Amino acid sequence: MNTCKSDKIINMIKILVISDRKDKCEYFSTIFNKNTYELSCMSDENLIYDLISGDTPDVIIIDAQINSLKNINKKIKSIANNSIIIFLVPSSNIDKELIKYANAFLTDDMSDDFVISTVNVNLRMKNSLEMLSNSNKDLADSLYRLNALYSTSSQFSGTLDKAKLIQYMIEGMDRALSFSLTCTLSLCTAEEPVLILNSLYELSDELIEALKLRTVLNYNSLFEREEAPIQINTDTLKVIKQIKYPASRFTFNLFRFDNMFARISLGDNLFGCVEIFKEAPFSPDDATCFQTIAQQVSLPLKSAILYQEIIEANTKLAKLERLKSEFISIVSHELRTPLTSIKNSLDILMSGRCGEITESSEKFLSMAMRNVQRLSGIINDLLDLSKIEAGKMDFNFAPTNINTVIDYVKTALSEVAKSKGLSIITEQDNSLPDITADAQRLEQVLTNLVSNAIKFTPENKTITISSNLVNSKDIHINEYFKDSIKLAPGDYILVCVKDEGIGIAPKDLLHAFDKFAQIENSLSRKAGGTGLGLPIAKQLLEAHHGAIWCDSELNKGSKFCFVIPAVRVEQLV
Amino acid sequence: MKKILIVDDEQDIVESLKFVLEAADFTCYCAYNGEDGLRLAKEIIPDLIILDVMMPKINGYKISRLLKYDAKYKNIPILMVTARSQEEDKIIGEETGADEYITKPFELDEVVKKVEKYLK
Repeated sequence: MNTCKSDKIINMIKILVISDRKDKCEYFSTIFNKNTYELSCMSDENLIYDLISGDTPDVIIIDAQINSLKNINKKIKSIANNSIIIFLVPSSNIDKELIKYANAFLTDDMSDDFVISTVNVNLRMKNSLEMLSNSNKDLADSLYRLNALYSTSSQFSGTLDKAKLIQYMIEGMDRALSFSLTCTLSLCTAEEPVLILNSLYELSDELIEALKLRTVLNYNSLFEREEAPIQINTDTLKVIKQIKYPASRFTFNLFRFDNMFARISLGDNLFGCVEIFKEAPFSPDDATCFQTIAQQVSLPLKSAILYQEIIEANTKLAKLERLKSEFISIVSHELRTPLTSIKNSLDILMSGRCGEITESSEKFLSMAMRNVQRLSGIINDLLDLSKIEAGKMDFNFAPTNINTVIDYVKTALSEVAKSKGLSIITEQDNSLPDITADAQRLEQVLTNLVSNAIKFTPENKTITISSNLVNSKDIHINEYFKDSIKLAPGDYILVCVKDEGIGIAPKDLLHAFDKFAQIENSLSRKAGGTGLGLPIAKQLLEAHHGAIWCDSELNKGSKFCFVIPAVRVEQLV
Repeated sequence: MKKILIVDDEQDIVESLKFVLEAADFTCYCAYNGEDGLRLAKEIIPDLIILDVMMPKINGYKISRLLKYDAKYKNIPILMVTARSQEEDKIIGEETGADEYITKPFELDEVVKKVEKYLK
C-alpha cells in the first residue's frame, strides 16, 4: 500500500507557488501540465510551513514582490533545504539578499517556455546532485565495509588460536554490520560445543534458553535427513555471554528482528554456525559481507585446528620417545642382572672349582658362555643405539689419524683372523692428514667391519683394509646407496674393508644397515653377532658428517666403504 | 684374613662373588639390601665393600656417600657394581666417592684381581 502511494508521488513533480496574486497562480497552473506537475498556490504563512514540512515540494516559486512574505525566505530555506527555490522578481532589479536563498530567478515578462525550462533545468540538476550524493554514500559505505573486511582478514591471519578467530569474526561482523545480537555456535572446542552470545544489551534467562534451542535446531538443520556428526543439546551447550551495555535488557520478541544465518565450514568440515539479529532489516550488501566474513574465517580455523593437532601429535611423539628410552634403559638393566648371575655361575663351573669338567660338558658350558657374551653384546649395542638416536651419545672429537685407528684394529683382530686361517693386510696412504673425529668410535666402526669380514670369509683368504684421500666428485657410490647418501663437496678420507667372503645378495644390500637386518638372514645368523653393528656404525659415521655403503657380489666378497670429511684440524681452529 | 662386605639385592650375584672371594682366602659378609649393608658396614668395619648401585630403600650411591663422609669409614675401598642404566649413568656423573666401578655382567676373575689390588 505504502509503495503504491510513494510511486505516484515520485512520478509527480510538486510545485508550490507562494503568491497572493491570483493571476500569477493561474498563470503557473496553466503553463505546467497537470499530468506531470502537481501545483499548489498559497500565501498564508502558517499554511505554507505546514505544507512544506508535511509534504516537501520539489520546487518552490516565491513571489518576491509580496512585501508581507519578505521575511519567510530564510525559514523556508531551512525547512525545505532539498527543494529548488525560485524567486519571481521584477525584471528591473534583483534584491541582493535573495541570492543567498535562490536556485534561480524568474521575471513577470518571461515567456512560458523560458519559465518551464528554468524549472526543468533546475530539477535535472537537483536529480543529478541527489544521485551523486547517493553514490557517494554507497561508496563510503562500501569503503567502510571493505575496511572492516580487510582488518578482520588481517586479524585472521595473525593467530592460530581457535577461540580468538571466532572472537575476531564476531568483532569483524560487528564493525561491518552494526547489529544488536549474535549467536555463534562454535564446535571448534571439540566435544564441548560453545555458544557465544554477543549482544548490545543484557539477555534475559528466557531469551538465552530460546537462543540455545534455536541454535541447536539451526545446527541440526544443516544436515538434511542425515544425523549430525556431533550431537549437541541445550544442556551440554556452554554459553559465553559478551554484553556491551549490561545495564539495559532485551525484553522484546526476537521474532520481530531481521536475522541472517551462515555456516562456518571448509568443504565438508563444519566448524560451527553463526546467526545475527538486527532491529532494522539487513540489506543485500549486508548479507554478502556477512557470508564473506563467515567464509573467510574457515581457512584460518582449519589451520588452527591442524596446528593444534600437530602440537598434540608432537607432544605424544616426544612422550613416546621418552618412554622408549626409559624402556630400553630399564630393560637393559633388568637383563644385565640375571645375565651376570648366569655368567658368574658359568665362570665358576668352568674354573673347575666345583669338580672336574668332562670334554662334553666343557663343550656345552662354552656354548652357554658364548651366548651369554652375545646377549650382553646385544644389550650394549641396544644401549648405544638408543643413546645415539636420542642424541645423548657423547663424542670426544680430537685430531685423529685414521691410519693409527687402522693399525690398532688390525693388531687387535689379527689373532682372531689367524685362528680362522685368514690374513689381514693394509693398503694405507701414509700422507693422510689428521681429521677431527672420536678415535674410539671410529675404532668401534672399523672393528665391527673387520669382525664381520672375518665372520663371513672362509679359510685361507685375505681381508684388505685400505685408506685414501679422495675428492667428493671422485667417490663412486653404487646405485643402491647413491640416493640416500648426500655428500657435501670437498675432500674425504675413504676407508674400505674388502673381504673374499660369501657376499650379500642385491636385495639384501639395501637393508644391510637396517636394525636387526641379520636376523632375516638365517645363513649369516650362524656366524653370530647382534645385527646392530652396522646400524650403529652408520649412525656413528653420520655423527661425523660421513657416510657408509657397501659393494658386494654374492659368493665373491663384499667391500664396505666409509668416508669422513677431511677437514684439516688447523682449518677448524 | 681380610673382611669383605658384599651388598647386593640380587642374592645369586652375592653368592657367586662370595664363592670366588672365599676361594681367594677372603672372609665374606653379605647383605641383601642397603639398610642391612650400611648397618653391617658400621658393625664389622670391613676391609673392602662391593656395593650394588640399584637397591631398594637405600641405593649404593647413598651408602657410599654416607661412609666416605665419615672419618671412621672413609678409608674403606668401595667397588661399585652398576648395570649401566640411564639412571645410574646420571648418578655416576655425580660424586659417589666410589673407588672403582664394575659393570654388569662382569668377569669374576677381574673382580678378584681388583679386590686383591686394594687389599695387598
